[in-house]
Amino acid sequence: MKKEIPILLGLIAAILWYGEFFIAGMFFDNMKMFFSDGMKIGGVVGIMIGAYSVGRQNYFKIKYNNERYYAILRVSMIFLMIFLGWARGTSLGTPFSSVFFNVYIPFQATVFALLAFYIASAAYRSFKAKSIESAVLLIASVFVMLSKITLGEAMWDKIPVIGEWIVDAPSSAGRRAIIFGGYLGMITMMIRIFFGLERSHLSE
Amino acid sequence: MKILEKLKDLDRRIIYLLVFLSIIIPLIPGFDFLKFPVSASKETKAIFDQIENLKEGDAVHIDFAFTPTQKAELLPFFEAFYKHCLKKKVKVFIYYAASVNGMGLGKETVKNIMNMDEFSHLKAGVDYIHMDYIPIMANIQIFSMVSDYKGTFKKEGKIFEGVETLEDIDFILGITGSGWHQPFIDMQIRFHYKFAMAVTAVIGPELIPYYQTGQLTGLSNGLRGAAEYEKLVSEKYEVNYYGSATKGLSSLTLSHLVVFGFVLIGNIVYFIERKRGGK
Repeated sequence: MKKEIPILLGLIAAILWYGEFFIAGMFFDNMKMFFSDGMKIGGVVGIMIGAYSVGRQNYFKIKYNNERYYAILRVSMIFLMIFLGWARGTSLGTPFSSVFFNVYIPFQATVFALLAFYIASAAYRSFKAKSIESAVLLIASVFVMLSKITLGEAMWDKIPVIGEWIVDAPSSAGRRAIIFGGYLGMITMMIRIFFGLERSHLSE
Repeated sequence: MKILEKLKDLDRRIIYLLVFLSIIIPLIPGFDFLKFPVSASKETKAIFDQIENLKEGDAVHIDFAFTPTQKAELLPFFEAFYKHCLKKKVKVFIYYAASVNGMGLGKETVKNIMNMDEFSHLKAGVDYIHMDYIPIMANIQIFSMVSDYKGTFKKEGKIFEGVETLEDIDFILGITGSGWHQPFIDMQIRFHYKFAMAVTAVIGPELIPYYQTGQLTGLSNGLRGAAEYEKLVSEKYEVNYYGSATKGLSSLTLSHLVVFGFVLIGNIVYFIERKRGGK
């Protein structure tokens, strides 16, 4: 029954969702709300499982001295935020929001900003015209890069036109092929789940 | 050829330093020599035109689906777009989709805008409303909005007068740095809503096919898109809404030139080496 029930649930969900999409008005409105409320409940349960998982992982890290101090710091910060939120609330102007704006946001922004440095270093070392194909890619990328900055337009008014054409025509055509391929794969996967042929999501 | 050897094994810290300087220097007052006029792309202009065509009291739903990670690129667009909506006197519903982390950022930004003299008379729950965050996937969100827009978010306010279902929403904008809004694109053809997106420059080109087919009615791409929107709103209403996107454009220009320079040097070194019979 451990396998059969999830397969049956997958079959019912597939019939309902795909049927709804192709046969408009198949559900009554309250039925749709039933699904959305169900998803919200599922989401809350997901957050609880996530909290349990984080707690469990860090407990073992602390217990077996596997990067113990990082784990202690991580857990301390979690409890600090919970305490701040519980003591003074989470609205704007509270200690919770102060930590959020002055610690969390700069940290996150810093991590994302580091990408620029890695990209510059990687481009220097690997972006070379070693073949005809890579030379075409290089020239196209230079035009697109220049078209994205205001200097490109100031240098030559045709640069944005060429850059836009590269993005709109060849790049978009390739992208479209990838999108079609992806969606065909998704449809195949749906059919396989529908007939119970695909069981990887059941740990098989 | 010591220089060639040095360039070939260039210390990455030098690259990092030059990239850092190229970003920082244009932001220092007096170093605005790299500021050039920006012209609006057709994709960004499409968003602006749709808001311009709305009537007073129409409903705009903003799907704020980004975290502070993408603040630098996306927040300037949100600010310019939100001010534009307030100028047009449309009702603005702000839902913090995808992540609870974006909610604090969005609310703080809205608070700062509402403190501006020209908008201070507008009221929460009447002219704009925060729909907060609920753990719900985008496709479920759309289906719920189709059935009962207000009931989906369980919020109250005068702003909901005349807004019962998704059909009453005149324009939806998704702001994101991820694939969160894919169901909005997929279902646009079915539920006939107007849906545009403001995204980070990394994923912008991926969405061009959807703009070409009309599944997206507008697209703002990265920091430049935000700067274009700031310009469009500022020029139309003769106000100074030029913000961090316009300021950041000169940083963008110089950092692109530095990367371009490194690619050029890398290729020159490669070709000289190849000519000599090296690897």
